[in-house]
Amino acid sequence: MKGLRKYIPPFAPDQSGAASVLYKLGGIIVICDAGGCVGNVCGFDEPRWAAEKSAIFSAGLRDMDAILGRDDRLVAKLADAAKKVEAKFAAIIGTPVPSVIATDYKAIKKMSEKKLDVPVITIETTGMDLYDVGAEKAYLEMFKTFAKDGFTVDEESIGVIGTIPLDVSDLKAADKIEMTLKSEGFKNVYCYGMGADLSKVEAAGSVFKNIVVSPAGLKAAQYLKERFGTPYEVYYPLVGDILQDEIKEQFKNFEGKKVLVIHQQVIANSIRDKINENVNSDVTVASWFMLKDELKESQDISLTEEDQFVELVEQGNYDVIVGDNILKRAIPNFKGRYVGTPHFAVSGKMCMI
Amino acid sequence: MKKESYYITAENLAAVGKDNIPAELISNTHLIYSSPATLSFNSPGAQGFGVKRAGLAIPGSVMLLVAPGCCGRNTTTLSELGGYSERMFYLVMDETDIVTGAHLKNIPQAVEEICKCTSSMPSVVMICITCVDALLGTDMERVCRKAMDRVNIPVLPCYMYALTREGRKPPMVHVRQSLYSLLKPMKKKLDTVNILGYFAPLMETSELYDLLHHIGMKKINEISRCKDFDEYMHMGEANFNLVLNPEARFAADDIMKRLNIPSAELIRLYQIDKVQNQYKIFTSALGTSFDDQKYYNEAKKVIDELKAAYPDVTFAVGEAMNANSFELSLALLRYGFKVAEIYASLTAEDFVYIRKIAKLSPKTKIYSNLEPTMIYYDCSEEKIDITIGKDAEYYHPDCVNVPWNEDVQPFGYAGIKKLFEELKHSLDCFGKEV
Repeated sequence: MKGLRKYIPPFAPDQSGAASVLYKLGGIIVICDAGGCVGNVCGFDEPRWAAEKSAIFSAGLRDMDAILGRDDRLVAKLADAAKKVEAKFAAIIGTPVPSVIATDYKAIKKMSEKKLDVPVITIETTGMDLYDVGAEKAYLEMFKTFAKDGFTVDEESIGVIGTIPLDVSDLKAADKIEMTLKSEGFKNVYCYGMGADLSKVEAAGSVFKNIVVSPAGLKAAQYLKERFGTPYEVYYPLVGDILQDEIKEQFKNFEGKKVLVIHQQVIANSIRDKINENVNSDVTVASWFMLKDELKESQDISLTEEDQFVELVEQGNYDVIVGDNILKRAIPNFKGRYVGTPHFAVSGKMCMI
Repeated sequence: MKKESYYITAENLAAVGKDNIPAELISNTHLIYSSPATLSFNSPGAQGFGVKRAGLAIPGSVMLLVAPGCCGRNTTTLSELGGYSERMFYLVMDETDIVTGAHLKNIPQAVEEICKCTSSMPSVVMICITCVDALLGTDMERVCRKAMDRVNIPVLPCYMYALTREGRKPPMVHVRQSLYSLLKPMKKKLDTVNILGYFAPLMETSELYDLLHHIGMKKINEISRCKDFDEYMHMGEANFNLVLNPEARFAADDIMKRLNIPSAELIRLYQIDKVQNQYKIFTSALGTSFDDQKYYNEAKKVIDELKAAYPDVTFAVGEAMNANSFELSLALLRYGFKVAEIYASLTAEDFVYIRKIAKLSPKTKIYSNLEPTMIYYDCSEEKIDITIGKDAEYYHPDCVNVPWNEDVQPFGYAGIKKLFEELKHSLDCFGKEV
């Protein structure tokens, strides 16, 4: 049945993806909600919140704000906060409430810019899309607004787009990617979404190339290619970490097997590539999130409904499934091998590597 | 720009009065800072009892959350708490649903499917809806009746309308009313009382049970102690309801209207003499009395032991805990301790405590957990020895902390006794851990 989830809780929503991209940039982030959405972001979808403070606020909308469309009150609250809290920019992130009342984000942006001394960006998320949709919008807006022209290309600098915790499920991923890329000869590694601050975003035009580690980062990479001519590659450099145990066993459990890999598309593709490098097997990628045509193989499957997932596993005769453990709840009759691979946006669980 | 968090001293706050509360302490005048207390305030489903968990208080019930995916996201945490993963279901709405209302047509079928996939037939299906349906003006009671026709068990609406948090009937008030709405008029039993207000039971050692037994109550009902739906329905037999949390007043009024069960109200206090007074007034009103000296003495002894061991200890008191921050702070001050800081969401009703705090400790600083400048809170500005509440621990991570936020509810002398035992134990143990 459309929308019914009997076993798998809902995944991270678009506003969480957008907030995560901007989390480290030193701006005031306003989740345009009544309170519950920012509670979800800070209390669940943003694991960095417990360890490091960020100026992430709720608009504190109330019923009469929504009914009367009192955007001026939101702008006044934002202007008040901007006087008290040091910020390099302000971002307003949408949720279901402004979506239902058709809030005019462009107007809010214009009104806010008149009152604030810093740039204002708006991310039109609705709470009804998934995290990657919000992250994609935020990456694009971030580079469009903050990336500066005039930098010369530095062959020792490299950008990595898509490293938010929701995507890479590992708070040390940025450090690990940096180490990996430095071992390949790069001196400066900018992990957008996790390690890189606003100055690195401003210098996005200076990198020699970008690596895209999440489908949510693809549009931004394409934009940077168009604007600065920066080439990009799409793969996840830490796939070896995810498959440590399988690598130790030389993928013998995958030899000649029918395999279903469920993750965000870039990580899933990198897992598939790694399996195919080692053994012969029939690997299908499935994702609850974006499946970009340019990264997709013909057999790959876009998952939207829980029933569809159950049917896929029941009728697909898979020998091995690689995916987040929470998905197992929906397929208790699956008798094959299940390789647990955390996806934070799915279960809220991190990699334990 | 001054990078400092806003506070007001108790004496200044008392001076301006409840009609001139500074805007920084009024949550709807500013953006809401995401501190741990805000998490409880904004999204109580993530910690403790929010609407979702509270809505499952009826034994054998399940919940269908009908909402955009984001509203159910943090329920993964709830599901991991014992037994909830088999009781929470979701009907995820998309934009088309909002425009066409198609999700409402699907609810009866979804309820039917849920009932088929559970190991035993649920006693009740709670349909939880959120801000979106609040704005759409959804008539969920009608939808519930349709669903009920399909499954022949009660289907109840449960409103998680964050937009109405500061309204006349906020979500946590509404959910309490929903929970008792199934009770039907039954023949009254004079020796039966319902305790309303909490979703978890009172601590076993609370003298309130002894008091109620003493005044002739043989059956003391609490929703969280009901073993099954049948036992829950027998709450309709009660002689009276005892309301322990003001958020249950609406529920008590509703029960009075529908079932003609009157109610009395007691509140949780940490000032030992006020506990004694409250019991005296309560029993006098019922034309009886209760000798509580034994319980008083036990609690007093533990307070005195803490005072003897740590006479100069300085507290910071938060709000994410089982107490009114201001009443607890006043109690600590009256026992002779220092309270340097209070982090809490102020209401006009709290001024009864504020005025007394101002007299005893005029320089006590009062902060709002929700105010944006709390991002600059600097714990080095005040010497704190011990914090109460998880939110207070956030501001003073290196101090002794007593979270005081367990599900099982402290009440009366027993609550005071347990708190002061925990405070002493935590101070005794501090620095001893390897």
